[in-house]
Amino acid sequence: MDSPASSSSTAPGVAPAVPQSSRTETTPTLIDIQNVDFAYGDTKALHDITLQIPEKRVTAFIGPSGCGKSTLLRCLNRMNDLIDGAKVERGSIKIRDIDIYRPDVDVIELRKRVGMVFQKSNPFPKSIYENITYGLRLQGESNKARLDEVVERSLRGAALWDEVKDRLHTSGLGLSGGQQQRLCIARAIAVAPEIILMDEPCSALDPIATAKVEELIHELKEKFTIVIVTHNMQQAARCSDGTAFFYLGKLIEYAETQTIFMNPGNPQTEAYVSGRFG
Amino acid sequence: MDKLDRPPFAITKTRTRFLGLTLDECVQAFFGGNAFVAVVVLGLITFFIFREGSGFFNQNWANLELYRKAGLEFVDHLKQQEEDHTALIRYLFDLRVRTVKHYTDEEGMSLANANKRLMAFDDYSYDFGDAVEPLRGAVMDLGDWVSMVKTRALVTEDRLEEQRQLLAVGKVDEAAAIKIEEIDFGAELQPLLAFRPAYAEINAEFAAGLLRVLALPDPDLPTPELQARLAKFKVLVGGYIEEFPRIEKALLDWDYTKPVPFAKAVSSFAVGGRWLTASFWQDWYGVVPLFTGSLMVSMVALAIAVPLGVGAAIYVNQLAGEREQRFIKPCIEFISAIPSVVLGFFGIAVLGQAIRVLSQWEALSWVPGFPVAERLNALTAGVLLALIAVPTIFTLAEDALQNVPRAFKEASFALGATRLQTILRIIMPAALSGIISAVLLGFGRVIGETMVVLLCAGNRIAIPDFTTGFAAFTQPVHTMTGIIAQEMGEVVQGGIHYRSLFVVGMLLFVIALVINYLAQKIVQRYRISIG
Amino acid sequence: MSDQSQHLFSSRPSARRRAESGVAWIFRLATYIILLAGVVVFGDIVIKGSRTVFQSEFPFINVAFLTEAPKSLYVFEHEGEHYEMADDDFRDFRESVEAQALAAGEPAPELKAKTYVYSAGGIFPNIVGTILLVVGSMTIALVLGVASAIYLNEYAKQGAWVRFIRLAILNLAGVPSIVFGLFGFGMFVIFFGWNVSLMAGWFTLAFMVLPVVITASEESLKAVPMGFREGSLALGATKWQTIRKAVLPYATPGILTSSILGIARVAGETAPIMFTAAYVVRDKLPWQVEQAMDFFFQGVMALPYHIYVVSSKIPQNEYSERVQYGTAFVFLAIVALIATSSIILRNRLRARYRW
Repeated sequence: MDSPASSSSTAPGVAPAVPQSSRTETTPTLIDIQNVDFAYGDTKALHDITLQIPEKRVTAFIGPSGCGKSTLLRCLNRMNDLIDGAKVERGSIKIRDIDIYRPDVDVIELRKRVGMVFQKSNPFPKSIYENITYGLRLQGESNKARLDEVVERSLRGAALWDEVKDRLHTSGLGLSGGQQQRLCIARAIAVAPEIILMDEPCSALDPIATAKVEELIHELKEKFTIVIVTHNMQQAARCSDGTAFFYLGKLIEYAETQTIFMNPGNPQTEAYVSGRFG
Repeated sequence: MDKLDRPPFAITKTRTRFLGLTLDECVQAFFGGNAFVAVVVLGLITFFIFREGSGFFNQNWANLELYRKAGLEFVDHLKQQEEDHTALIRYLFDLRVRTVKHYTDEEGMSLANANKRLMAFDDYSYDFGDAVEPLRGAVMDLGDWVSMVKTRALVTEDRLEEQRQLLAVGKVDEAAAIKIEEIDFGAELQPLLAFRPAYAEINAEFAAGLLRVLALPDPDLPTPELQARLAKFKVLVGGYIEEFPRIEKALLDWDYTKPVPFAKAVSSFAVGGRWLTASFWQDWYGVVPLFTGSLMVSMVALAIAVPLGVGAAIYVNQLAGEREQRFIKPCIEFISAIPSVVLGFFGIAVLGQAIRVLSQWEALSWVPGFPVAERLNALTAGVLLALIAVPTIFTLAEDALQNVPRAFKEASFALGATRLQTILRIIMPAALSGIISAVLLGFGRVIGETMVVLLCAGNRIAIPDFTTGFAAFTQPVHTMTGIIAQEMGEVVQGGIHYRSLFVVGMLLFVIALVINYLAQKIVQRYRISIG
Repeated sequence: MSDQSQHLFSSRPSARRRAESGVAWIFRLATYIILLAGVVVFGDIVIKGSRTVFQSEFPFINVAFLTEAPKSLYVFEHEGEHYEMADDDFRDFRESVEAQALAAGEPAPELKAKTYVYSAGGIFPNIVGTILLVVGSMTIALVLGVASAIYLNEYAKQGAWVRFIRLAILNLAGVPSIVFGLFGFGMFVIFFGWNVSLMAGWFTLAFMVLPVVITASEESLKAVPMGFREGSLALGATKWQTIRKAVLPYATPGILTSSILGIARVAGETAPIMFTAAYVVRDKLPWQVEQAMDFFFQGVMALPYHIYVVSSKIPQNEYSERVQYGTAFVFLAIVALIATSSIILRNRLRARYRW
C-alpha cells in the first residue's frame, strides 16, 4: 500500500534465508522482525529471529512442539504481555515500520489492527450477533444498521453467513466446532484488522471442518495478511505462500512454501517435512 | 483492491488521562487499592490481637511478683491446709447423706428418726470440724493483713502511673502533688515471719485435735459399705496430718525477696489449672480448665459427627439414588444455615431437659455419668455442636469421595468386587486424606464455636473430675470461646484481664490456623497421589 | 442345582450379601439421623414459634409482635380475673383502677403483679437492627472483597507474594468469629473510641466475612476460561473492558451465591456483635437521632443477640417462652430464606451459564 517499501535486500545481516522469489519482491514487507530474543522469565524461548513477512500473503510457521512458533506469533500482537515475566530481550518487531514494542505504542490499538484466532475456539457465551459486534461495540459503535452490515459482511467473509443467518441471536456455543472457529475468525475480521494471526486454528477440528477453514484462509488473503502457526505440514503446504521452519527457538529456514517442501536448503528442515521427526 | 474501509495503520494513541493515569490505570489502581486495604486490614487483625495479647505476660509476671511480695503466697499455704480440712468435712457430710438415705429408703425410717439415729455421728463430725479453729483464726488475721498490703501496693502503683502520665503531658506541679507511699515489703511482712514459730504450735495443737477425734469410738453406721467409707475417711485424715511438716517447711523456706522467674508468668497461663478473675484475693489466669472444656465439648461433638457425617457422605455419594441425593444434599446444607445462637437456645429450651429426662431412665443407668446432675453440661453442648460439625464434615467428605476417579471404581467392579468391598477397599482409602481434612475442618468449626457453648456448656470454670471416667463428660465446663464472650464486657482496657482474654483469642487464632493449614496440606498431598 | 432356574450367574443368598445390605443400611441410618436431628430442631422452633408469630384470626400474622418494641410483661390478678399486660397497658390499667377507687372513695387496691422482662411487645427494633447490620457490613465486605479478588486474580503478578497472601486469606477464613469480635472490640470500640455502635459492628462483621468473600469471588473468577480474556484482548479491548464484558458477567453467579451465603453468615452471627454493636435494650429506633452522624455511632438491638439475652438472662417459663420461640422463629425464617434463595439461585445460574 502506501508504506515505504522495505525490500528484503535492504535488511542487513539476515542469517537465515529469506524467501527469494519474484513474488516476494513485488509484495512489500509488512512485518519486519529483526534479531529478536524472547524469554519467559529465565527460560529463553526465541533466539535471534530475523524474518520479513510480506503483505497480503499467508505465512506459515511450522516446527515441532515447543519450538517457539506460537511464542513468536503471540509477540506480533503482544499477547505475551499477559504472561508475567515474559519479554522481548533484544531486537525489534516492526509493523509498517513502527516498532510495536516502542513505549508510546498503545497495545489496544495494536491489537485492533492485528487480530488473532486461537487454537481452541473461544466464542463468548453470547449470541452469534453479539460475538461479532463485541469488538466494534468496545470502540463505541452503536449504530444498528452499521452493526448489522458488519455482521453480515464478516459472516460472509468467514463463509458462515448461509449457515447461521437464521439464528444470529442464538448462542455462539450452539455451533459445531468448525463453525465456532469460523465464528471466531468472523469476530476477528469484524474489527477490520490488517493482519490476522492464527494459532493452530484447525488442531481441534475434524478434516471436513479443517478443509472449510483452509478454504476460508485462501479467500481471506485477498484482504488480510495472515500468519498461521500449524502442526500440520499438509496444511502449511496447502494454504501458505511462505513457510518458516522453527526448531528449538531458532528459525532454521524461511522460504517459499514450495521450496521448503520440495527442495529444502537445510537437512533439519528436510528431516522434519519428510516426517522423520517432530 | 481493499474493500474494507480501513483507517491508516496508526498504533499510537493519546488516551485521556486523570492525574496522569489512563482510565484503565485508574480502574486498576482502584482494585489494587481495595486489595491493599483488605490485605492490610487482615494483617492488622493478626497484629492487633497479638499486640494486645503479648502484654499479658509481663502484667501476669508483675501480678505473680506482687502475689509473692505482699505475702499472699505465704497465706495461701495455710489456706490450702484449711481447705483440705473442709474437703474432709464435706466427705463426712456426704457420708451422712448416704446414711440418711439408707435409713429412710431401705429401713423405712422417718427423717426425724433417722436424724436421731445419727446424733453420735453428728457429734463426731462437729468435733472433727472444731479442731481447725486455731488455724482458721490465724488464716483470717494474716489474710486480712496481706490483703491490705496488696491493696496499698496496688494503690501506689496506680499513683505512680498517674504521675507518669502527668509528667508525660508536662504537668510537673500536679505530678509532684501526688502523694506516693513507698511500701517496704520487708517491714510489712514482719507479722507473717513472726507467725512462723506460733504456727508450729498451732499445727501441733491442730494435729492433736484431729488425732483425738480419730481416737473416739466409731459412730454407728448401718451397712458394711458405709463403715468402709468411714475407714477410708480415717486413712485420708492420717494422710492429711502427715502433710503438716511439709507445710511448715514450705513456710520456713518461703522468701518474699526471691524473684519470680518470667517463665512462671507463661507457665501459670499455659499449664495453670485455675481461671479466677475479679477476685479480691488473687487473680489466676490458667487456661487449662478452658482448654480442657473446649476439647471435651469438641470430642463429644466429633464422636457423634464423624461417624454420622462420613457415613452419610458415603451413603449419598456411593449408595443413594439420584433422587435421594437431590433431596438429602440441600437438606444438610440447610442444617448448616441454622444460626448457632438458635441451636444454643434449642439446647437450653429442649435438649438439656431431654438429656436429663433420658438420663434418668433405668435402662440407661449403665451409661457413665447418668443420671446427669446438671442440665447444661459438656455432653449437651457437644451434641448440639455435632449438628454444626456434621454439614461441614459431610460436604467436604462428599467432595473427597466425588473426586475419586471413576476408573478406580470401575476397575474394582470389573474384578468382581461387591459394592461394599469397592467402597471399603478402593474408594475410602483413595478419599481418606480428603476425609481426614474434612474432619479436621469440622474440628476447627467446633472449637471456634461460641454461642452454643456459652449457652449450653454450663459455664463452670473448673477442670472436670476425670477420676470419674467418662462421667466427666456430663459435668459442666467452660470454654475458651465462651470465656471471651462472657468476660469481655466487664474488663478494663489494657488491664491484665483484658489482655488475658486476648491471649485466649490468640490461642484460638493459632489453633484455627494450624488446623486449616494441616487440612490444606493433607488435601494437597492427596491430590498429588491421585493425579 | 436341582432347580432348573439356577444357572451359573444366578444370584444366591449368602452371608456376604446380607452383610452388604446391612452395612448399606447403617450408612443410610446415619444419613437419616442427621436429617431427623435437623427436622427436630426446625420443627420445635417452627411449631412453638408459629404460635407467637401467627394467630387464628385475621390478619393471621401477629402484627404487634413484628412491629412493636420489647416490653415487660405484667401478670396479675384483679378482682378474681387473670390479666397479662405489657408495661404501658399496665400503667394505664393501674391508673384507671386507682381513679375508680378514688371516685368511689375507697383506698386504691394494690395490684400485685409479677413482671417478666422482654416477654411482651415485639421484636421490631431487633429486626431493624439486624437488617442495618447486614446491609452495612455486606456493602463494605462486597466492595472490598470483590475488588480485591479482581485485583488478585486479574491484575496482580502471580508470584510468591500473591500466593502467600492467598494462603493467608484462606487461613483467616477459618478463624473463629469470636476472635474477630475480640478484635472489633479492642480496635473499634476501645482503640478508636467508637463505643458500641453500628460502625464498629459493620466493620467487625465485614472483616469477618471478608476472607470468605475474597476466596469465593476469586474461585468464581478462576472458573471463567482464559480463552474469553484472550479473545477479548485480541479484539482490541482494554483490560477493564475485558474484565467488565468478558469476565465479570460469567463470574457474577458465583460471586452472588457466595455473597448471599456471606449474608446468611453475617445475619446469623452473634459473637462478633456482642460487644461491638448490640444493645440489650434501647428505647429509640435507629433513625430517631438528633444528628446524622449519631446514626453511625449508635448501638442497635439485633435478633441474634436478643435470642441470646432472652434465652440466658431471663428464667424459663410459659411467659418468656412466647418471646423466646417467637424471636427464634422469625430469625430462623429470615436466615433460612436467605440460605434457600442462595441455593436456588446457584442451581438456576449454574444451569444457565455453561461453557
